[in-house]
Amino acid sequence: MAYDGKDKVLEEVTGKSYEFGFTTEIESDKAPAGLSEDIIRLISAKKEEPEWMLQWRLDAFAVWQTMEEPDWPHLNYEKPDYQAISYYAAPKQKKQLNSMDEVDPELRRTMDKLGISLEEQKRLSGVAVDFVMDSVSVATSFKDKLAELGIIFCSMSEAVKEHPELVRKHLGTVIPTRDNFFSALNSAVFTDGSFCYIPKGVRCPMELSTYFRINESGTGQFERTLVVADEGSYVSYLEGCTAPQRDENQLHAAVVELVALDEAEIKYSTVQNWYPGDENGKGGVFNFVTKRGICHRRSKISWTQVETGSAVTWKYPSCILKGDHSVGEFYSVAVTNNAQQADTGTKMIHLGKNTHSTIISKGISAGNSHNSYRGLVQIMPSAANARNFSQCDSLLMTDTSGAHTFPYVEVKNPTAQVEHEATTSKIGEDQIFYCLQRGIDAEQAISLIVNGYAKEVLNQLPMEFAVEAQKLLSISLEGSVG
Amino acid sequence: MTDSAKPQLMDRPKTEAKHAASETSGAAFLAALDGTRSAATSAHDEALDRLPVPHRRVERWKYTPVAAWWKDVLSTEVHTVQAAGCAANPVPGLDAYRLVFVNGIFDALASDLPVHSGVVCMPLSQKGDAAVQPVDAFSPETTDWFAGVNGKYGQEGLYLRVAKGVTLDRPILVHHHTTGSGVFNALRHDIALEAHAQVTLVHWSTAASSADGSVNILTRAAVADGARLHIDKVQDEEGQVRHIAFEDIRQSSDSHAEVHTVTVRGQWVRNDLAFRINGSGAHAELNGAFLPGEGEFVDNHTTVDHRVAHCTSSENYKGILYGKSTGVFNGKVFVRPDAQQTNAYQQNANILASDKASINAKPELEIYADDVKCSHGCTVGQFDSDALFYARSRGVGLEAAKAMLVHAFIGDVLKGIKVAEVRLEVEHRLAEKHGWEVWSDYPNDDA
Repeated sequence: MAYDGKDKVLEEVTGKSYEFGFTTEIESDKAPAGLSEDIIRLISAKKEEPEWMLQWRLDAFAVWQTMEEPDWPHLNYEKPDYQAISYYAAPKQKKQLNSMDEVDPELRRTMDKLGISLEEQKRLSGVAVDFVMDSVSVATSFKDKLAELGIIFCSMSEAVKEHPELVRKHLGTVIPTRDNFFSALNSAVFTDGSFCYIPKGVRCPMELSTYFRINESGTGQFERTLVVADEGSYVSYLEGCTAPQRDENQLHAAVVELVALDEAEIKYSTVQNWYPGDENGKGGVFNFVTKRGICHRRSKISWTQVETGSAVTWKYPSCILKGDHSVGEFYSVAVTNNAQQADTGTKMIHLGKNTHSTIISKGISAGNSHNSYRGLVQIMPSAANARNFSQCDSLLMTDTSGAHTFPYVEVKNPTAQVEHEATTSKIGEDQIFYCLQRGIDAEQAISLIVNGYAKEVLNQLPMEFAVEAQKLLSISLEGSVG
Repeated sequence: MTDSAKPQLMDRPKTEAKHAASETSGAAFLAALDGTRSAATSAHDEALDRLPVPHRRVERWKYTPVAAWWKDVLSTEVHTVQAAGCAANPVPGLDAYRLVFVNGIFDALASDLPVHSGVVCMPLSQKGDAAVQPVDAFSPETTDWFAGVNGKYGQEGLYLRVAKGVTLDRPILVHHHTTGSGVFNALRHDIALEAHAQVTLVHWSTAASSADGSVNILTRAAVADGARLHIDKVQDEEGQVRHIAFEDIRQSSDSHAEVHTVTVRGQWVRNDLAFRINGSGAHAELNGAFLPGEGEFVDNHTTVDHRVAHCTSSENYKGILYGKSTGVFNGKVFVRPDAQQTNAYQQNANILASDKASINAKPELEIYADDVKCSHGCTVGQFDSDALFYARSRGVGLEAAKAMLVHAFIGDVLKGIKVAEVRLEVEHRLAEKHGWEVWSDYPNDDA
């Protein structure tokens, strides 16, 4: 093509280092590698969990042992050795913390580096943050203010201790233990995560946010998030993640469950920026995540994700539209560069009458990466007048990358209306030419075009996140002219 | 492009687990077949051993139940249209060469082989196995268990060679008829067109209303540079007949291949089409219409494999599902790393006309080249209520209005059928099956 700086710019990108690739020298409390009933008992004991929780974990472990790692995703990676991973690593803390000031200074510095200075965020954006490092929640801000409204926002381990009735009622109801290989693993070994409960009729006044970070080497992160929005409530939940730069593949197998009761609304946004590995595909995080929400009558769940990190992504945030008139939405931008691989999409299971779902998925593949959309739209016989619209576009930046689409459409009700469309193309040379002509260099032109392409999704993100996501997009793609 | 930069994902071997109960059924099925006939070859035994017997956990068979297959293994003595009591030519007024196969056996009396310079056309059994195109790693026999069964037991079929530059003056009608109870028929057709040759084939399958059995047909076609192959394929089988068909089409530069599939009747039908485009400038076209009624099952699996640059493909499948029927559409467009400038289009539209009907669609794109234009669309809906209202407000009854919409909906697929008599007969039989009197009143382009 007309632009001759292609190779130079490409080199720049591949040479671009991962911004969050530092490690934090915090003494940590790490369990020996391997997985057995003893390890699970150890985790449970460390977390001072009640007996029912331990039993739940042991049951999950028994199920997991009978399952096999899935082979169907369009991914090519060496399967992790599940006995070589340490299933528990916690930043060492001497005593229970009373305020933010007592947090380990090293840890505070990590947060600062990540740009989530808790105090600052408190003041500026009014976002309540739960920070999960390796496997343990280390800080939750804004708790008191939320408590005034009856909102519970705390770490999962705290919730198990303090709100067992809520946790027991909802945990594993959306994603049963035996749902899949990774959810079973997570159920057995999850160490922490966030729990959030919005009471009846309450509109959560601020964005709730969780920040995940894998720090220790040789560990996996297995967090579990449960968000319950009671009748008529509303919550917007953000999730971000980073990991240090390491040669090994680190495993992240999280489970996120959302419960939207009658007339509730949950908006769940993710900016996923785990370490993607180097340009040859060495290292990087394996991101095997199960996310699912259940919608009761007239409720709504909206998933928005910007996926730029991870060496391998396996992730399908889904909605079960159980209640009549419920709404499910999925907006996704997935960017892969270098040797990254992503197999991501959604499932929309329509059970209730007049249920609606929308799927907008934008894939961008650069380098030698592969980006797949895999989605299921299922209209069950009970779902009269269900409506689905899916759009999956792929943008290819190089001739060595791949873009793939695997949509499943299963309709069992004649009143349903389902539309799926997908296109694959490269960035229009005429669009780049137009920009070049007007003095915008190729780099910026691509950034402009990609941002325009992803706009439909980025628009769904809360303001603070949208800015970050836009920055991430241009970093991930800098110079990937194809 | 260096080797290391090549995507490794493309031909990643997937381990498809064997399912114990299915393996047992499959083995019993093969053993029973051995009892009723002799295998044509043992060349496919390795593949049959290696491939899992289809079951729900095998991705390509996710939506397709196979349990009914295991009971039909018999062969029958009925081998002529006369004995079967059916017409040699199912298409009134069709002026075509004809090969008739009754229960998998060639009926010479009912057939009319082409005598044309540069054309060799005869039943496969007269030609011998040595002449048949070899099987390779992409052939259905080595990738699908049922095709392996065809390879093992299929002994008869069409053998067709068309020499360079020859255009056959009339279409060739290949008529399969099934009759009897518990029968199993396997046929394989071997077609090769030399450069710039042209031929039109009509594959027409029928079955007696009392018939009960299985049909397994495999068509292999090599289309050389600049050659044109057109296949109109009609499935109109009464009775309780299961029909599985494989088409393996290889295209060279500037060739043109089309397959138009209409499933009028069939208890259980699976069409598995694969186009491999090996030469630049080639065009592949696949269209299909399926209108299953009460208790019927239709599955269309297609693969278009773009292996070289500058090729185009176009795919259009329409389904209307009545009664308690199930439809499956799985279309895969594959664009390999070197296939730049590919233009691939795929469309699948479905109407559920009954509250018991269901459709499973999976339009897939797998793309490894960047300078391509690929799109697909898939819809599931119902009859447009505005259009129905418009027709009814002008005095057209509800059923007639629906028939009109059906005609419009599948019109573009029917239009692709090249042989006018075939198209008319398809329309006639569809109308007859579904009771659409109104269709006969429509003006026809060819009239």
